[in-house]
Amino acid sequence: MAYLELAKVSKGFGPPSQRTAVLADVELAVDENEFVAILGFSGSGKSTLVGILAGLIDPDEGDVMLANKVVVDPGPERGVMFQNYSLLPWLTVEGNIALAVRKVMPGLSRVERAEYVQRYVDMVNLTGSEAKCPDELSGGMRQRASLARTLAMRPNVLLLDEPLSALDALTRANLQDEIVRIWEEDKRTVVMITNDVDEAALMADRIIVLTPGPRATLGPSFDVDLPRPRDRAGLNRDRRFQALRKRITGYMLNFTKTQAGDEARSRRRMPAIEPRVFEAA
Amino acid sequence: MKYKILKAIDVSGLTFLAPIVRLATGEEPDVQIRAIMQMIVVPIVAFAVFVGLWSQLAPRHKTKSGEVPTPAVVWDAAQGIWTFHAREGDKETAYVLAGEQRESALMAAKDRLAEIDPLTELADRQVADAEQEKSAQVAELTAPLRTKLAVVSERYGADQAARKARWMERADRTAVSDTDARLALLGAWNEHDLRTREEREELKNLRAEIDTVGAQAFPALSAAQKAQTAIAEERQFLRKRIEVLTAYNRNEKARAGEQQLADLRSKYLQADGGAAMAGLAANIARTRTRVESIRESNYARPYTLPMQILRSLLCVFVGFLLGSLIAIPIGILCGLSPTFMAAMMPFIALFKPVSPIVWLPIALIVVGGFIPDPDDHWLINGFAGLPLVGWMKINPAFLASAITVALCSMWATMVNTALGVASIDDDHTNVARMLRLSARERLFRIVLPSALPLIFAGLRISLSVGWMVLIAAELLSSSEGIGKYVWDMFNNGASDSFAKMFVVVFVVGSIGLALDRIMIVFQRLVSFDGAPTAI
Ligand SMILES: Nc1ncnc2c1ncn2[C@@H]1O[C@H](COP(=O)(O)OP(=O)(O)OP(=O)(O)O)[C@@H](O)[C@H]1O
Ligand SMILES: [Mg+2]
Repeated sequence: MAYLELAKVSKGFGPPSQRTAVLADVELAVDENEFVAILGFSGSGKSTLVGILAGLIDPDEGDVMLANKVVVDPGPERGVMFQNYSLLPWLTVEGNIALAVRKVMPGLSRVERAEYVQRYVDMVNLTGSEAKCPDELSGGMRQRASLARTLAMRPNVLLLDEPLSALDALTRANLQDEIVRIWEEDKRTVVMITNDVDEAALMADRIIVLTPGPRATLGPSFDVDLPRPRDRAGLNRDRRFQALRKRITGYMLNFTKTQAGDEARSRRRMPAIEPRVFEAA
Repeated sequence: MKYKILKAIDVSGLTFLAPIVRLATGEEPDVQIRAIMQMIVVPIVAFAVFVGLWSQLAPRHKTKSGEVPTPAVVWDAAQGIWTFHAREGDKETAYVLAGEQRESALMAAKDRLAEIDPLTELADRQVADAEQEKSAQVAELTAPLRTKLAVVSERYGADQAARKARWMERADRTAVSDTDARLALLGAWNEHDLRTREEREELKNLRAEIDTVGAQAFPALSAAQKAQTAIAEERQFLRKRIEVLTAYNRNEKARAGEQQLADLRSKYLQADGGAAMAGLAANIARTRTRVESIRESNYARPYTLPMQILRSLLCVFVGFLLGSLIAIPIGILCGLSPTFMAAMMPFIALFKPVSPIVWLPIALIVVGGFIPDPDDHWLINGFAGLPLVGWMKINPAFLASAITVALCSMWATMVNTALGVASIDDDHTNVARMLRLSARERLFRIVLPSALPLIFAGLRISLSVGWMVLIAAELLSSSEGIGKYVWDMFNNGASDSFAKMFVVVFVVGSIGLALDRIMIVFQRLVSFDGAPTAI
């Protein structure tokens, strides 16, 4: 039986009269200790999916199940790293992490907690910026602070929404290793959203593609049967990796093609919807 | 170092100092000089122009309470207020001085009195001289006018008499039945009357002209008079001070009382007969309580403006605190629950526009109901026992003024708090939900910190509204404070009252400015988004 499950989940936004169905009939089963990467197009509903998994968004239909129990409310055992970081601007980096730690590990003494927080600050290379407020940080630094907060919660399920999107290649590689290490070390369940096929293949056990919206749903899953530890440099030359990558990109390209073809055939006029601007705070 | 100073300047909102610091460290001198011109020189020039216009225009407008005071007069009035305050303070200490201190103070006062005695005569003489000189000059200036007046008034008197005589003559000659002639005479009389009135008017104008010359400002005389008044006031003060140091001094009075007590006691010991003894015993007991109360007593100091300012500050602070204690919790509840907000909305909308003038009498009555006996009430006694504010004699009028301040000022805080709490970012709520924070933690760790900048913006508005309201409330409630001072000045009609009101304008303005500045600092300290606060 799977550990984290979505059963026939649908979600739409907007008033009933002009409701846009973002997700439709999403089925997902993640085993305990499994690392699943979800690939998807921009705006297809990946963050909505994370919100549903976390319990922050109520699905219109279907259930979220964790260890065979239906969950409704969010909780610290499902640690979310938000795409827009959601750091509290009145707290320092340290304070943001400490707030989560205090809640998850109430038994720690002040000194222990400070040490614990410091470990995660060091892990994401924010040493020296502990006392800065989010407004004084760059986008990438905020992303790392947010990642540190989520990792420090040591949740059973890690829900990472594009956790490394704003980082340079080197930092990104380091943190990829770090996430995998943590996942291996005390075996958690990870659902990571990403739009980078290589990153997904490097880190995950399984890659699932979210079809483009509206009415996005999860496509077939691709098992990544590459041995661990995976060597980033060697990977590119690995035949299995190349084949996997080809299959996935092929699958995804297919979508864009059919979509283009559909449109060309039906000459469907685009709905008069203004694109919404989502600011990463 | 430089950046620390600049940061402190930024936080305190004294941004006009920044270019000076930058200039001192040699950073882009031309940019800084332009900034200094704009932020410092221009306001100073504008103020100087204002003062200049004021001193030119003020004397042109004459009122019942005298001329509109010029800046110089206002400045003198401010000094007068301060001197009065300092002298009252001197008397207060003099009242309790004892032993050598009292004697040396007494010596000093006597010496000074001896010193200024000759000055008094000198000042009197100078005033007399100046007066004489003035009247001589006035006489000289008005001589032609006065001659003219004499001539004209004599001529007019003669004319009038002649006209009347002629008319009488004609009247004597008209027969009773000659209606036409009599009616014509009536017309002639009216003509005569009109002429007489015109002539009187002309004479009056002439006299007024003479008076105007006499009333012209005479700087030498007013300077001499000012000096004379200053010396007379100091003399009066010194006499009073000597009195307070001797007969009035509480230790001296107590000593006299002790003396009396000793006399009574020896009389009592000598007395024979129960009746005599009883009378003396009662007298001794009475005298003893009196002496004790003298030992405890203090100089009955009148309120001076600086004291009233302090009392007003306390009053606005109490009212502001009270208002905030009501407004912030209600605002938080409004922000958290739209239902509660809907329930409160009619009250906020209804009570917000009510003027302090309406709240005050209501507050006075309500407070009066709670404190039927102001001399013996725990709240009043509690205030009296406090270390720094005990002397302010907190009374129901004070409390009513504070409540009025609270009632008028709390709305801004309430509305802003509600807005701040209601507009909390979804992202932050999500964090709270993910961490499963308790209601308490959510309030103190998420909701309040994120609403704090808006709450402080509201508090800042509340405090400035409160300060404005307070002056009106004090004026109406006669609670000792700035408002009452203005009212007293309006009513007492002393020559410098008008100028003192102008002093109050500047005092109230400066204090309001300072309070606002302080709130800006707080607001900046709690705002995490680094957004510039409106000045
Ligand atoms: N609160 C909301 N109200 C209305 N529409 C929403 C809301 N949240 C998301 N949507 C819509 O749902 C769709 C999916 O949004 P979502 O944020 O899940 O996309 P995403 O896949 O995470 O995109 P990206 O890759 O850019 O992060 C979008 O079209 C968006 O307009
Ligand atoms: Mg997203």
